[in-house]
Amino acid sequence: MDNRNSDAAMTVDGQSNGVDDIIVCRDVHKWFGRFHALRGVTTSVARGEVVVVIGPSGSGKSTFIRTINRLEKHQRGDIIVDGFEMTDDIRNIDAIRREVGMVFQQFNLFPHLSVMRNITLAPTKVRKLPMAEAEDIAMELLERVGIPEQANKYPGELSGGQQQRVAIARALAMQPKIMLFDEPTSALDPEMIKEVLEVMQELAASQMTIVAVTHELGFAREVADRIVMFDEGSIVEDQPPHDFFNNPRHDRVRRFLSQILRH
Amino acid sequence: MAAATEHTAPMQPPRTETGWIGWARFNLFGSWPSTIVTIVSVPLALWACWAGFSWLFTTADWTLVTSRPQQYFIGIYPTEHAWRPLVGWLMVSVPFGLAAGMWRGAAERIAIGYGVIALVAGLLPYGMMHEGVNMPLDIRLLVLGNLPVLAVSYWLGTTEAVGQPRWLIVGGLLAYVLSLLLLTGLPGVKSLPLLADLPGVSAMEAVSPRLWGGLMLNLILSVSGIVLSFPIGVALALGRRSDLPVVKLMCVVFIEMFRGVPLITLLFVSQVLVPLVLPANFPVNSVTRAAIVITLFSAAYMAENIRGGLQGLPPGQAEAARALGLPGWRVTVWILLPQAVRNVIPAIVGQFIGLFKDTSLVYIIGMLDILEIGRAIVQGNVEFADNGRELYLFVAVIFWLITYTMSYASRSLERHLGVGQR
Repeated sequence: MDNRNSDAAMTVDGQSNGVDDIIVCRDVHKWFGRFHALRGVTTSVARGEVVVVIGPSGSGKSTFIRTINRLEKHQRGDIIVDGFEMTDDIRNIDAIRREVGMVFQQFNLFPHLSVMRNITLAPTKVRKLPMAEAEDIAMELLERVGIPEQANKYPGELSGGQQQRVAIARALAMQPKIMLFDEPTSALDPEMIKEVLEVMQELAASQMTIVAVTHELGFAREVADRIVMFDEGSIVEDQPPHDFFNNPRHDRVRRFLSQILRH
Repeated sequence: MAAATEHTAPMQPPRTETGWIGWARFNLFGSWPSTIVTIVSVPLALWACWAGFSWLFTTADWTLVTSRPQQYFIGIYPTEHAWRPLVGWLMVSVPFGLAAGMWRGAAERIAIGYGVIALVAGLLPYGMMHEGVNMPLDIRLLVLGNLPVLAVSYWLGTTEAVGQPRWLIVGGLLAYVLSLLLLTGLPGVKSLPLLADLPGVSAMEAVSPRLWGGLMLNLILSVSGIVLSFPIGVALALGRRSDLPVVKLMCVVFIEMFRGVPLITLLFVSQVLVPLVLPANFPVNSVTRAAIVITLFSAAYMAENIRGGLQGLPPGQAEAARALGLPGWRVTVWILLPQAVRNVIPAIVGQFIGLFKDTSLVYIIGMLDILEIGRAIVQGNVEFADNGRELYLFVAVIFWLITYTMSYASRSLERHLGVGQR
C-alpha cells in the first residue's frame, strides 16, 4: 500500500541538503489553456522549514502551492510530497492530501456546519476517528487558536479573523505534516491580520513545515527560513530573509519590494 | 458636533409623517401617478368586494358541494368502500402530528389547521353520500378520528425516542404506502375459494384505480411526484455535472426531452402509446403511469433547480473539502448538496406547488380529479348548470389552502435553515 517513491529524497536543487526534503518539485510546468502559468519550477522544502512565497499577482505563486496538494494538476515535471509522487493515481493524491493541510484566502469554511462540525468532519469521515475523540482534538485546537468559546457557532456568526483561525484548526485536525497558506490574511480587516499571523507564528515555532503565500513582509522577515519570489511563472529569487531584503540577486525583487513597501 | 447631539433630547417626528396620515401620504398619495392609481383603484376594489360578498351571502348556492362532498374528495370510489380512503387519511395524519410535536412552531400551526379541517368536516351537517342522506355516524367517527390520531402522534413526536427526523420519514412513507395498499385492496381475493367466504375479506376486494378520483387523486399523484422527483432530480443534476461523457449525455438528453415536451403530451404518451409497446396485461395501471410521467417531468425541472444551486456555490467549498482529503462523492454529499439544496428551497417548493396544480391535467386522459369531477357535476346536472362559480371557487379554495400551506412550510424551513441571512 506504500507507494512512496524511493528516490524521492534525491533532489537536483542545490539549496537544501537533499536528505530530509518533504516537498520536492522538479521542472514543474502548468498551463491554463494556452497560458503558461508555471514555467519549470524546481525547488524543495525541508522538514520543519518555513517558506514564504511572494510575487506580483499572476506570477504563479498561488498556482504553485495549489499543485502541491493537487488542487491544480501540473502537466510536466515531478512533485514528490513526503515520498509520495503526485500522479493521477487517486491513492497517492488521497495520501498526500491527508498529509497536507491548506488554508485559503476566503477561509472556505462550510457555512452549513457548526465550527465544531467543520473541524471534526474530515477526522471522523476520512481518518475514521470516533466522534468523541475528534471533538476532543477539535476543542484542543480551538484553544490553541484562541477561540474555544465559538465551538457551537456557525461560521457566518464569526469575524473574518475568527473564521480564518477556525480554518487553521480545521486543517490541523487532520494532523498534517505540511501546512499550505494561500494568502491567509489578504481578505481580513487590518485589525484581524495580527491574530491570524500569531497563530501561524506559533505553528512555525512548533516545527510544522509551512509554505505560505503572503504579502506580510514583516511575517516573512521574522518567521521564514527562506523567501521565494515568483515572477511570470518562475522562481526569480530564493534566499533567507536577511539576504532577500538586503542584497537580492535579482533586480525584479528590488522593484517588487519597492512597489509594495511604498504604500 | 458629537457632543452637541448628545445633549439634544429626541423629538417626536412631525405628525404628518406618522400614524395613518403618514402612512397614507407615503403609500397612497406619494406622487401624482400614485394618487391617480389610488383614486381609480379604491372605488374599484370596494365595488368588487361589495359584489363578491353580496353574491357570496345571497345568491351563492352551495348545494352542488354539500350534496356530494364524497365525490370531490374520493371521486367515484365505491361508497361501500369509502372507509378505506378515510382510514388512509387517518394514517396520513400521523406524520403531520409527528412533525408538529418534533418541530413545534410552523409545523404545529399547520397541524392545528389540519385538525380544524378534520373537525369541521366531521361535524358539518352535510350529507356524506351523494344521495343526500346525512353522513352516517361511522363515517363521521372515522373523520373525527383524525383528532386523537393527531394528538397521539404529536405526543409521540415530543418524546426523545420517536421525535427524530428518521422516524418522521419512516412514518410518512409507511402512511403513504399503506394507504395506497388499502385503496388498492387485494386483487383476486374474490376468486380464492376459501378466503372469499371469510367475513371481512370482501371488504378488502380490489378497487380499480380507474375509480380513484377527487382530491385524493390529486394528492396521491403529487405526493409520489414530490417524494420521488427530488432524489431523481438530484441524481440527474449530479449526472449532468459528471465527468463521464456518456452519463452526462444521458442526463442532458433526459432533462431536455422531458422539459421540452408539454406535460399533457407526456400524459397522452403514457396512456396511449406506452400500452401499445407493452404487453397487453402488463401490470401498470393508468394511475401509476400518470404518476410516473408527472414524477419524471418534475424531476427534469428539479434537476435544473439543483444544478443552479450547485453552480451558485463558490468553488472554494469543493476545494476546501478536497484539500481535507474527502473523496469526491463525499464532497458532493456532505458539502455541496446540502448547501445547494438549501439555497434553492424557494425554487424547489415552487416546483412542488406547480406539480400539485399540474395534477389536475390528468383530466385529459380521462381521470376524475377534483376539478374534473366538479366540472362533470356541473355539466351533468341541470339543476347545477348555473353553479359554475361556486364550483370553481370551492375548488380554488381547496387548491389554495394546500399550496399556501406548502409555501408557509417552505418559508418556515428557510428561516430555520437561515437562508437569506447572509
